[in-house]
Amino acid sequence: MRVVLVEDQALLREGIVALLREQSIDVVAQAEDGEGLLRIVAGHHPDVAIVDVRLPPTFTDEGLRAALEARRREPGLGVLVLSQYVEPVYTTELLEAGSGGVGYLLKERVGEVRAFVDAVERVAAGGTVLDREVVSRLVRAAEPAGTETGIDALTPKEREVLGLMAEGRTNAGIAKALVVTPGAVEKHISSIFAKLDLPTGGDDHRRVLAVLTWLRASAEG
Amino acid sequence: MIVGRTIADAVARSRAAALSLLVTVTAVVGFAATMIWAATGFGSYWPAWIWFAGLVPIGLFWFLPELTADLDGRRLRLAVHAGLSAWVAWILVLIWAFAGGGPFWPLVTIVVLAALVALHALLLRQVEAGDEHELEERVVELTRTRRGALDVQAQELRRIERDLHDGAQARLVALSMQLGRAEERLGDRPEDRELVRAARAEAGAAIAELRDLARGIAPPVLADRGLAAALAALGGRSAIPVEVEVEAGERLAPAIESVAYFVVAESLTNAAKHAGPGARASVRVERDADLLRAVVADEGAGGADPAGSGLSGLRNRVEAVDGKLVIESPPGTGTTVTVELPCE
Repeated sequence: MRVVLVEDQALLREGIVALLREQSIDVVAQAEDGEGLLRIVAGHHPDVAIVDVRLPPTFTDEGLRAALEARRREPGLGVLVLSQYVEPVYTTELLEAGSGGVGYLLKERVGEVRAFVDAVERVAAGGTVLDREVVSRLVRAAEPAGTETGIDALTPKEREVLGLMAEGRTNAGIAKALVVTPGAVEKHISSIFAKLDLPTGGDDHRRVLAVLTWLRASAEG
Repeated sequence: MIVGRTIADAVARSRAAALSLLVTVTAVVGFAATMIWAATGFGSYWPAWIWFAGLVPIGLFWFLPELTADLDGRRLRLAVHAGLSAWVAWILVLIWAFAGGGPFWPLVTIVVLAALVALHALLLRQVEAGDEHELEERVVELTRTRRGALDVQAQELRRIERDLHDGAQARLVALSMQLGRAEERLGDRPEDRELVRAARAEAGAAIAELRDLARGIAPPVLADRGLAAALAALGGRSAIPVEVEVEAGERLAPAIESVAYFVVAESLTNAAKHAGPGARASVRVERDADLLRAVVADEGAGGADPAGSGLSGLRNRVEAVDGKLVIESPPGTGTTVTVELPCE
């Protein structure tokens, strides 16, 4: 797996590189700003770019914009965005950039080494990874039944399943987390797809659409 | 103004004395003259001149303060000038009439007097226009410097947030990474590993607390994406269900966005704290020409004290940008906080 890393703070950049190396993941190139990301992506064609949201020169969401641009130029590129903050608007923009191969994690999750490495691998494989903080907020935000969107029709159990889907877990992973059988998980998921009125097709794609519907509902308040 | 007030006071004090003196002198002299007039055989009633000379100033002193009560120093001086001139002119005309008419000789004097009054009025007007101009300039300058101070404050807060982000937060994240690596190396020593995991959890808690602190100082998403995104995120973080609807158009001045954000944030915190179980809240933000209006309503218990420290702090922030804050909180029907902010 080829990974590039864009982080303006040397302390964190070195930390992440060392951590990944110990897990036998090679960071093939590093950069400190958005333009650097575009350059190393074009030069190295990595599987995944790990990108800090806040980069110079604007120190706002430069990293996110650059990551979206890199993905537009290199459609197969997996993008794992790291941030100090959970912002639904960033998550939505990231997920709207295309199905799969995206992730959004709080920076401190890097310290959970196995989960972090797992997330990098899932994003590289085209999966979707959302921080559990993002997910738990979304679950709460989706709870008020003010307007009748498909989200409001979900049962608490189905919301839980959707939350785990958003974290990027597989059916087996969800079954394990909820201590139910994989068959029960599949039933919940097809019920979610039905309630959200998602088109039949690739299952992975529908999973992302389900999460996206949910994000939109909560981003709109 | 103070000089004018002093003159007015002095005039008021001396007026009573002058008035009683004038009345006494006029009465005594007029009476004596009438006696003499009677004793000399009732010719043409010449003491009329004495009555005239006494009564005119009495009348002037009587009415002048009524006419000038609301005037300050400069205008008072002009009024006195004009009154005295009119009085002199009138006396001249009367003397001319009593002396049997003929060529109107008081004309030259009257014209000169009128010209002087006109000149005085003109000068006063220019001085006052200058004053007004000065005041206007002062208001413009104060408005500008106050806005400048608010912008500097906003930048400072942003800088503190960035310092936290790049400093303490980053170090804690690095610490948490190192602890994570140590944890991986301690695979065969479960007790040590658990200790390191607990340390990492502490670091994580510190990061979360710093994050909340930094966001309370200057929410990054507000600066990046504006009010709508920041308020949607705020609603999502609230402890109670919140419906958010924002139609603010394009980006507003940072000071205005920041005030609107913090009013909504504080109101939602209050709603979550006081509205009671099962309560929900709504946030509506709309732009009406040069006015941004934000309404935060909850269905809670109401009875909020507008003089409480939180709400009066909000009021200060709102008033610093010339905005208006209205809090309606009748007991039993929930609380509605409305803020109106000027935006150009």
